[in-house]
Amino acid sequence: MALGLTLVWGAVRLLNLAHGAIFVVGAYAAYWVTSSLHLPILVALPIGVLAAAAFAYAMHVGFIRPVLGKPGFDNATIIATVGISIAVSAAALLIFNPEYKVVPAVLSGYFIVAGVQITNQGLLVIGTSLALFAVVYFYLTYTRHGMAIRAVSQQQEAASLMSIPVERTYGTVIAISGALAGVAGVLLSPFFFLSPNSGFNPMIQALIVTIFGGLGSIRGALVAGFVLGIFESFVEVYYGVAWAQPGVFVLIILMLILRPNGLFGIGEVRRL
Amino acid sequence: MLEVKGLTAGYAGSEVLHGIDLTVKDGEGVIVLGPNGHGKTTLLRAITGLLPPRSGSVLLDEREITRWRPDVIAAAGVVHIPQGDLLFPDMTVLENLVMGAYQRATWSERNQRLGRVYELFPWLKERGRQLARTLSGGERRMLALGRGLMSKAKILLIDEPSLGLAPLTTEQIYASIRRVKESGMAILLADENANHVAGLADRVYLLETGVLVREGPAEKMLQDKALLESYLG
Repeated sequence: MALGLTLVWGAVRLLNLAHGAIFVVGAYAAYWVTSSLHLPILVALPIGVLAAAAFAYAMHVGFIRPVLGKPGFDNATIIATVGISIAVSAAALLIFNPEYKVVPAVLSGYFIVAGVQITNQGLLVIGTSLALFAVVYFYLTYTRHGMAIRAVSQQQEAASLMSIPVERTYGTVIAISGALAGVAGVLLSPFFFLSPNSGFNPMIQALIVTIFGGLGSIRGALVAGFVLGIFESFVEVYYGVAWAQPGVFVLIILMLILRPNGLFGIGEVRRL
Repeated sequence: MLEVKGLTAGYAGSEVLHGIDLTVKDGEGVIVLGPNGHGKTTLLRAITGLLPPRSGSVLLDEREITRWRPDVIAAAGVVHIPQGDLLFPDMTVLENLVMGAYQRATWSERNQRLGRVYELFPWLKERGRQLARTLSGGERRMLALGRGLMSKAKILLIDEPSLGLAPLTTEQIYASIRRVKESGMAILLADENANHVAGLADRVYLLETGVLVREGPAEKMLQDKALLESYLG
């Protein structure tokens, strides 16, 4: 989730506030495949991911591409993505009604280590996110298209002089980021019930992780995700659940005072 | 090979180029001389599509490329080494070079192409892992040139290669451009003085306030000190 946000920020300088909506699109698509088509979740997972990627790409074509490089890009896209979020939850409400839905887990069961219950699905989520980080990192570092994404993010004009199609590259980034949100949507939904506003909390958390790790930094998103997760659980266990959120916010505030650009922040100057 | 006809271009509210006619033949070295602020950079940017021209046309091998997207013009073989180098700052030297070969056809032969660029600038090879942002001004200029040469260029458009460089480095840069030209590459170079272009230039244009006021063979134009002085000061 945070990986997708940071990718789009790093490459396109787009603060995608519709990231939560894309998450919800993926989750509902998977829900629809399992509940209406009665197909197994393993079939629903790729469909949910594709739906999320397609939705993100459509958003790019409809709302991002027309304002690329124009003055006011920041404000226009922030408002557009908020609008898309509202539209998606309204559409989900109309199509699926406000009842909570259950997206089945890919893996069931759990085991207990040192008195702590660990679900297999939880392990799957951790494994998948580590794997996706590795794949995205490899893609950006070594492949032709991945390197083109970094080139466009660092020097757009020079990239076009190297015959890299800038707009199409942006489309690719946004679709990949959408696919990542889709994976998160399908795999995380079994942990809570799916509702039209389900995307909001994960997106806020992803934003916190992204800011903590440094906007646009992939390594930062990975480290920050785990650091914040562990910190939150630690506070929950030792000080009670009520202190978890405030604890995280205190940590963020400290972070922003000490290192305003985040752990591995690339700030305004450095990019992907 | 490259033909510019009646090209006008400019920025919001003000026209900078007022009808430019210019040609570069196969393997020819053409220099556009003009003082700062008279439209040299604008001319190159208008040819490569970074600044879409207002009117007129640009032809490459008799094919109209006016108003094509910059990436499509670059893919067609008009390769622009821009002012300020515009390297990818957080990529390594090697990655910068490799991006020059982004096109599908050149990507597969990027290693051979690297070899040729290393022949021209051997130091690039040892410094491959260094970030471009940490290079000196002269090194950046050479990297920008090397990156341009990684593509399958038919013609190189080079914008003021001496800008901001020490005299010795400037000499080196021009020597390497001369070698590129000797290999048969057509070159259109914009410059504000005629000190370094001997041996590189076949023909010279003088640009003044957005108009090409003179054109002639290099040996004649570059000899005419009085003429050059009156235009370039």
